[in-house]
Amino acid sequence: MPTIRRTKVEFEGRIEEREVIVEEEHVEGWTQDTQMRWVGRPLSRVDGVARVTGKAGYTHDVHLPGMLIGRFLRAKQPHARITGIDSRRAAALPGVHLIWHRFNLPPVAHLDGRELFGEELAYEGAEVAFVVGRDARAVGDALGAIEVEVEPLPFAPNLAAAAAEDGPAVLVGEDNWITPDGDIYARGSVEAGLREADVVVDLTFTTPTAAHCCMETHGSAADWEGDLLTVWHSTQSVFGTRSSLADALHLPMDKVRVISNYIGGGFGSKWGAEAFTLLAALAARELGRPVKAVLDREEEHLVAGYRPGSRQRVRLGATKDGALTLIEQEAEVTTGAYGGGGPVIGGPAKDLYLCPNVRTVVRAARANTDGARAFRAPGYVEGTFALESTLDALAHKLEMDPLDLRMKNYADESPSRGEPYTYKGLQRAYEMGAARFGWPPQADAPAAGPWRRGYGMASQIWGGGGGPPANAIVKLSPDGTAEVLVGVQDIGTGTKTVLAQVAAEELGLSLDAVRCVVGDSLPAPFGPGSGGSVTLASAAPAVRSACREALRQLIALAAIMLELEGADPDAFAVEAGDIVYRADPEKRLPLTQVTAKMGNYMIVSKGARGPNPDDKAINTFGAHFVEVAVNVETGQVRVERVVAAHDIGRVVNPLTATSQVYGGVLMGVGFATTEARVIDPDTGLQLTANLEDYKVPVMVDCPEIEVLFVDVADTAANSVGSKGLGEPPIIPTAAAIGNAIFDAVGVRVTDLPATPDRLLALLAKEKTQ
Amino acid sequence: MALNFRGPDAVPLTLQINGEAHQVLVEPRRTLLSVLREELGLTGTKRGCGQGQCGACTVILDGETAYACLTLAIECEGREIVTIEGIAQGDALHPVQAAFIQHDGYQCGFCTPGQVVSAVALLAHTPQPSEAEIRAGMAGNICRCGAYPAIIRSVRAAAETMAEQEG
Amino acid sequence: MTIHRFAHADAASLQEVVAALDETCLPLGGGTDLVAMMKAGLMAPERLVNLKTLPDHHGVRPGDGGWRIGALMTLADLAADPAVAEAPALASLVEAVLDSASPQLRTMATLGGNLLQRPRCWYFRNPEVPCWRKGGRRCFAFRGENKYHTLLGGGPCYAPHPSDPAVALLALGAAVRLSGPAGDRTLALDDFYVTPTRDAQRADGYHPVTVLAPDEVLVEVLIPGSAANARSAYVKLMERGVWDFALVSVAVNLALSDAGQVAAARVALGGVAAVPWRATEAEEALLGGSLTPEAIDRAAEAVVAGTRPLEHNAYKVDQLKAALRQALRRWTAD
Repeated sequence: MPTIRRTKVEFEGRIEEREVIVEEEHVEGWTQDTQMRWVGRPLSRVDGVARVTGKAGYTHDVHLPGMLIGRFLRAKQPHARITGIDSRRAAALPGVHLIWHRFNLPPVAHLDGRELFGEELAYEGAEVAFVVGRDARAVGDALGAIEVEVEPLPFAPNLAAAAAEDGPAVLVGEDNWITPDGDIYARGSVEAGLREADVVVDLTFTTPTAAHCCMETHGSAADWEGDLLTVWHSTQSVFGTRSSLADALHLPMDKVRVISNYIGGGFGSKWGAEAFTLLAALAARELGRPVKAVLDREEEHLVAGYRPGSRQRVRLGATKDGALTLIEQEAEVTTGAYGGGGPVIGGPAKDLYLCPNVRTVVRAARANTDGARAFRAPGYVEGTFALESTLDALAHKLEMDPLDLRMKNYADESPSRGEPYTYKGLQRAYEMGAARFGWPPQADAPAAGPWRRGYGMASQIWGGGGGPPANAIVKLSPDGTAEVLVGVQDIGTGTKTVLAQVAAEELGLSLDAVRCVVGDSLPAPFGPGSGGSVTLASAAPAVRSACREALRQLIALAAIMLELEGADPDAFAVEAGDIVYRADPEKRLPLTQVTAKMGNYMIVSKGARGPNPDDKAINTFGAHFVEVAVNVETGQVRVERVVAAHDIGRVVNPLTATSQVYGGVLMGVGFATTEARVIDPDTGLQLTANLEDYKVPVMVDCPEIEVLFVDVADTAANSVGSKGLGEPPIIPTAAAIGNAIFDAVGVRVTDLPATPDRLLALLAKEKTQ
Repeated sequence: MALNFRGPDAVPLTLQINGEAHQVLVEPRRTLLSVLREELGLTGTKRGCGQGQCGACTVILDGETAYACLTLAIECEGREIVTIEGIAQGDALHPVQAAFIQHDGYQCGFCTPGQVVSAVALLAHTPQPSEAEIRAGMAGNICRCGAYPAIIRSVRAAAETMAEQEG
Repeated sequence: MTIHRFAHADAASLQEVVAALDETCLPLGGGTDLVAMMKAGLMAPERLVNLKTLPDHHGVRPGDGGWRIGALMTLADLAADPAVAEAPALASLVEAVLDSASPQLRTMATLGGNLLQRPRCWYFRNPEVPCWRKGGRRCFAFRGENKYHTLLGGGPCYAPHPSDPAVALLALGAAVRLSGPAGDRTLALDDFYVTPTRDAQRADGYHPVTVLAPDEVLVEVLIPGSAANARSAYVKLMERGVWDFALVSVAVNLALSDAGQVAAARVALGGVAAVPWRATEAEEALLGGSLTPEAIDRAAEAVVAGTRPLEHNAYKVDQLKAALRQALRRWTAD
């Protein structure tokens, strides 16, 4: 019988209490010693052929008979008031079907509480008009023919301008500070921490605004069949999209189907329905034809979000022997004209180390840009850079090995929650990483040329425990094949493959007999959005639960066939594809022989994710060890080698998990060395709205990356023993790089990215001191 | 003797793609990418940036890789065009494709067609590339998911397979 | 991102091309710059003439003891051509070509188009910014975001010239042959590029980067025989490992006597001026001496003579010195 329980779920640094319906079929947790046939193996993806032949269908690739193309005309200035729009010339062009704007509004002009086509355009790229036409050319020609009259308004393109006394209002009538007092976390007292400290290190940092740069730009296609709306949307959350779209269109949820089969990257930027999704749906209804609207690359940079740049100050106090007495971290960010309170930059500070006195503050202000979005470990990437760089400086000041300093302050239980961890493998990650990397590093021979070599490390904490709600349905056919339906999506992490592995394991079927269907809200029961590294840890236990229920039905059938009718289902096991009576292993039947008995019928079962354990913290941990080379004449930094050791509980698929770590590390390398979004202070226009000026790493920039997993099942966390991995591997990279640069050339990089201009300025300053 | 200008209205073109002739009627302003995707349904070639800055639209023109997003379709008449759809022989994957699957040379997969096409062209010119040659030869294809180490491994493995098949 | 409508013709002869070209009819090489400019809405010619179908100017031939390189050669073909790849004197050109762009862009881009590239400046490339180069009143980089901008030559445009081969060719003493309705003319590269202060505006408002007239075509690049006895090197510093425009670059072309004395020197700089820049002070510092560490230091000081950094690009001064040192150090082991 379903019951209702409260459970704690951590999502991107914030703990939520959720009431959940618990209907989990009791599933015995897999232990460290459970013999596994599919789980834990480095298996190739089940959809590999589609990916390498070009057959994988992304939202960009949706093409339906009669489909039209939609696109926005966007604001070309950072802040203005619309005074007039003349679209008559555009509307008369061939192939133009519809134009909506402020003076010719669509039937719905609100999304998620925000007005579309409002009078005030508060950022470059704000929606001015929506044009639907025969093809991209017709639409593009029409966009160029729309005449827009605006009255420019003063603007604040960055934090300095937004925070200035008498600075211009980012939004007319609104305070520029969104959280003037800040989001504050505190334990103990700063004064006590300073008093008890023998040594204090106090540093300030800036981190760049970073763009997700999904290779598939955001987009949607919409089609109506009667009153049923089908939307293809490149999203990390089919159910989130369904609810936001149903809400905006005042439609019953069951009339909205969202499909996101293949997604060309999300990294946190692809969540619910967006303005183009809503307008594509409205236009499709209006015109009776499917409509597709995808962003081009420039729009992607202008309106699809970013990791906000930050200004930070970190103060650490410690006793002579290295015990931390104080961690204080203050951060300021801008989150856009309509932004929120900012990411949890203080998350690592409150939880990474044992320290009695901790205070973190994040203040967020508006600026005349588009809104910040979650970006792979939001807050933790920028927060860890500042925290772990300062810790390295502290180690240097104390003349301690940086790893020893971290071990000195190792937290055996969650410092902020005062509760034990389900499992914490950070020490093991340190040991594995140090052994592989060769830490502590040996002193290098003096360099002959301009290149200097250096070594650094940094640690990481993140949530990733997942939690309810998440459901799964299993359909077992008479030929012994199973379909697993889960309402999550595979954003490139291999979800389809690892969930199939879990199902094959539980059902005792071979992997190719299991097909996992994700990314479609119609057939699948609810699944969470793929963010916060929760997909696997939330969905896999639900899949196990559903599989277990299917097995119980199958076992009942087998019991009859074995003349053991009425026997306790737990008296049977599945071994190598056979259903086996434990008390008498001679009594066994191949599973497919049982399913064949069903006739043309199927076993259908459902399962749900159970609650998280009470009074325990579930976290993921890791450490990166980095080798860099720095050219003291040119200021160039080469990241040459990274050893990444991570504790994510049980690793279901080491091949795809390793890939995720590669990706996190490389994104961390880009964040640390080349990437920065630049808004011109003078014009308020973005100067880096392309992949030439916004510099993501290319293959030549990729270091040698060695990936290690602690790979101990976190049996207390959930029935699979796995935690999330999407975000952890980007978190410590930048700090480890900065620390390695310090080791190489003796200057502390406090402003990212560590480009040659910055390195040379630091080196010159160091020389004069 | 005067130049024979065609357009700006649509003109008939014959394009030789993956060994087959295709007739299309398109304006001179059309890029090869838009013709492949919109007129011919060959959507394996992706539009990542449309500005020659990412490599997702990489195709092979007369044996050399090119960005289809900066190539005018009208200038492709008489040229041999190979897209991702023409890399496998029926159901038989090219060794590069098989290696990408085996070594997980992708994540989201959106840049993968371009990566595969670049790798196929690289190995055609340089059958046994060093790691440095792979990195330089594949530098024109961005993978934001950061699959580069696995892509390098895939290209190497494919080179070995192809060498064995040759020998 | 939607290209305007235009008509298109394949060229069969140079005469018909130059007869057709004007402000509204442009020649198209590899298209890697022009097509991107059209996509951004920065250029809108009514007609394009495809030069790649011309029968000539696709290869390298010997000439006057040096080399004559067809302007329609792709960068990839140029770097792979045995006559170029195997000539030690042209090492700098090969390096500059291989440091350019990406493999795909090198198979598309022609040498001529590369030399004629418009600035990559992020203000120039933004259609919303009415910068001086596009016919506006001022350079937005001068007091703006100028970390990638110029140190030498002053304004009114501070966008660096983006070509790598142009820098190598300038150090090699190359010239370009231009074909127009009135016949051909040959110009040294020093005279081909125009600093932003000099030339008149074009009909479309743009300030040109070169003296190429609207009805002229760049057909050939001539590298003199005097370069053949020298050695050359190209050093380019970037933020990414590859596929990035130069922060700074240095091309050096040196003739050394048997005694190791610098008998002739040409040094050219990229990324630091609106045109590929001759570093005559560095050349003078090198002439007559041998490549001792002291001489290299003197040349490194001389190479930055006259530099006037903007607010965010002083680092390029250090980088210029470093790049020149890197280039010269290649020969100090000899």
